Amino acid sequence: MSEMMVRLKSRNNLIVTQMVVTGLTVIVGMIFGIIMLLVQGGMIEAMPATFYQFLTIHGTFMIGAAALAATAIMWYFLSHYVELSKKILKINLVLFIIAAVMVTVGTFSFEYAGAWTFLYPLPALSASAWGTIGALFYLIGMLVMGVGFLLLFIDSGRAIIKKYGSLGKGLGWDVIIGKKAEKDAPPPAVVASTMVTIVNTTALLSGSTVLIMNIINVINPAFTFNPLLAKNLTYAFGHIFANATIYMGVIVVYELLARYTKRPWNSSRVFLVFWTMSTFFTLLVYPHHLLMDSVMPRWMLIMGQVLSYANGLPVLVVTAYGALMIVYKSGIKWDMASGLAYLSMLGWTIGVIPAIVDSAIVVNHVMHNTKWVPGHFHMYMGLGVIAMTFSFMYFLAKNDNGLKETMVDKTAFFMYMFGLIGVSGSFLTSGAISTPRRFATHLPEWMGPAQFGAVAGILVVIAITIFVIHFIRYISVRNKGNIGSDYYDKKLA
Amino acid sequence: MVQMVAWITSLVFMLLIAAVFLVVAIKSKEKREYEPIVKKWYKARTFYGAILVILIIGVSLYTLRLIPFNQPVYSEGEEPTIVDVEAFQFGWNITETEFKVGEPVEFHVTSQDVNHGFGIYDEDMEIIAQTQAMPDYTNKVYITFDEPGTYEILCLEYCGLAHHQMVAELVVK
Repeated sequence: MSEMMVRLKSRNNLIVTQMVVTGLTVIVGMIFGIIMLLVQGGMIEAMPATFYQFLTIHGTFMIGAAALAATAIMWYFLSHYVELSKKILKINLVLFIIAAVMVTVGTFSFEYAGAWTFLYPLPALSASAWGTIGALFYLIGMLVMGVGFLLLFIDSGRAIIKKYGSLGKGLGWDVIIGKKAEKDAPPPAVVASTMVTIVNTTALLSGSTVLIMNIINVINPAFTFNPLLAKNLTYAFGHIFANATIYMGVIVVYELLARYTKRPWNSSRVFLVFWTMSTFFTLLVYPHHLLMDSVMPRWMLIMGQVLSYANGLPVLVVTAYGALMIVYKSGIKWDMASGLAYLSMLGWTIGVIPAIVDSAIVVNHVMHNTKWVPGHFHMYMGLGVIAMTFSFMYFLAKNDNGLKETMVDKTAFFMYMFGLIGVSGSFLTSGAISTPRRFATHLPEWMGPAQFGAVAGILVVIAITIFVIHFIRYISVRNKGNIGSDYYDKKLA
Repeated sequence: MVQMVAWITSLVFMLLIAAVFLVVAIKSKEKREYEPIVKKWYKARTFYGAILVILIIGVSLYTLRLIPFNQPVYSEGEEPTIVDVEAFQFGWNITETEFKVGEPVEFHVTSQDVNHGFGIYDEDMEIIAQTQAMPDYTNKVYITFDEPGTYEILCLEYCGLAHHQMVAELVVK
């Protein structure tokens, strides 16, 4: 085996490990999600303390897994264009696992149940539900995870700047202003990675700031800070970090659909303009989480609404439209990877709709913090980012050693699709009938959709287990030494 | 009412998008040259993008007229009833809980400890208004009750283990 192939194998080993951790975390997170729906649906009983611990672990695991998978996708494809540090990728994975253990210990051993979207000063003021140690385990765990991701994005920024000259050039600004020809524009994977590097560095700095202030407040309650500032920092972090997973995940769609259809998906000027718009909008729209705080500056709330609408444009006009165009009459050979990539674009696009609807202040006034919110994000995260994740897994399995897909996988595809539409649809229905989110108990009239969502969730967890089993099969074949048919790898080697 | 409009609007657009994805997936079996497709659909995109921008501007202008914090819920010369609301883990201190139909009310909402959400539900358990209850700040919510009945206040921001038990009642005669 050539030196290059050994290097590529070691790179792929890291990515594969990261994807396994992701797959297992998603399954565990989903099981907690289903249990919560069963409790809300009155089908099983759980103490409120247990319910809110499950809520905390479900949210933390799912956002963590989505971020871990999405960074693996970004890292894998970006590494074909720029020189990334494997050491940093490894450090991030180790820190993620340490963080996951700390969060789990804080939640289940010390009963921390503040949710991943906790608002200051909840970690310190739990009404005696959890103590300092539980809060510190959780908060420091999240900080450790944040540090890992921050290192990763500092590295991607460094690598992009080294190759292209600046982050602006990574976004293709020199092409936009006409200094450079369209044909020399950075590829979509680089443009998306640059955007995510910018927004996620900002998000992680906001998140770390608010985490550190909360940690000090938990240790010494005499240290206080402004709750409105804390809320702004929390949502700036949460919104950007969650959304960035989609912008990383979509790289697999760009790469795969172009390869499967044998059609080019290049960075046109319009494409670059819209990615720059996405960069700014993603940074600026978080105030739509604060629409029910009339003490916020009015202009920020109006900006939150209007830019949320505008933020739908890049996906609706460029990315989803591009995916449809490249697939249309292409004679594409559908398999699990291409199917899931295509499905992810559907999930993202339809998930954007209820999000946009809810970002109108007048609608938010009666739908904020109802189950409408998890309704839309289960669509664009569950049917979007998670589909991108498993598309990437099937791609790796096929591309790396040609592992065959079976009827079971195909059946799982439809179970997953209909299951997640069911879960999201049940949440949206709950939101439309004013069911509050994050409630340990439901009134009888709220229980029906929760029961339906739980059953649909069971379908999804079965489907995802089948996806993960396929990936584990790939690893076992791979460990026998049959690796390295990757198109890029061959090209590089 | 708003909830139903939001649900139906979302459903229509989501079904429309799903239909487009389905048609394209069906059409993907055919194989044609890409160049003419790009040419034709780039043109269509300009039109489609322009429609979306017009839609965004139109909907923004329409909905921003209705911002709940701006609404004058009472006519000139009429004094609203000011009600102070203080949330705490796990309950509500509300200075006044009985109102008359047509009486303009301003709730001044704050919190003693952590963040809470002040959500007003009507007798059909449908949210009719809400705001956040935050320590150190006072958010205002304006409302004029149109119907007599018993309204419930629920906490709409996760605040701890008895979050779902933070219930209070308002009576409108």
